[in-house]
Amino acid sequence: MQIDKELMMIGIDFQTKEDILESMGTRLHELGYVEDDFIENVLDREANFPTGLPASPYAVAIPHTDTDKVIEPGIALATLKEPVPFSSMGNAELEVGVKIVFMLAVDAPGEQVTTLQNLIEMVQDEKVVSNLAAVRSIDECSKVLEDFKAQKN
Amino acid sequence: MTKKLLIMCGTGVATSTVVTGKMKTWLEENGLEDKVTLHQSKISDELNRIDDYDIIVSTTIVPDDIRDKVIDGVPLLTGMGLDEMYDRIEGKINQ
Repeated sequence: MQIDKELMMIGIDFQTKEDILESMGTRLHELGYVEDDFIENVLDREANFPTGLPASPYAVAIPHTDTDKVIEPGIALATLKEPVPFSSMGNAELEVGVKIVFMLAVDAPGEQVTTLQNLIEMVQDEKVVSNLAAVRSIDECSKVLEDFKAQKN
Repeated sequence: MTKKLLIMCGTGVATSTVVTGKMKTWLEENGLEDKVTLHQSKISDELNRIDDYDIIVSTTIVPDDIRDKVIDGVPLLTGMGLDEMYDRIEGKINQ
């Protein structure tokens, strides 16, 4: 799966999901992937339709919002220094400790099916989740993603 | 008669795309593809016509009054509790 290095943030240190979403959204915005109101829409969506997934060994979150807030498709990836609570998808009362966040900028779901499916497949792979949570640099992060891709082919 | 299966999430963008792809594969693998038509959408577009569907799979939180009709689709995203979820869907298809 292709994630641009400029959209990777490693070991970021935040206490709340709002700060994380804001920081990742800002990166996407600065690089021209999303509209001005993308961030507030993602925050609003996350509050109403939470995206935490109880993956193993760490939970993962996949925040996103409507296609009209997206200029160019892309995925931002952040690994968190400490797990941060997100509500889980489909059950807001269940909080999960998220260590990896994929913020999705999707503009045409039909065209991005494979990317999204690969992403979900990756999240279900314990080894990849564990390796991603442990990376210390963008290069290491990139390598984990490439290895996953290679192993699939 | 074919059953109408709705797959919905919060935005109709990300998770419902993944779930629709997986459901399509599962239906084909089990020879059920002729029995079901798939619809992908976001929850806010569907709440007022939810009764049009025979089977509803959602990856997001649904209002209490329709909760009984809705099958949780999150297992397709986490891989946990998949068999039970497929059994429920198959049961509804063959109802």
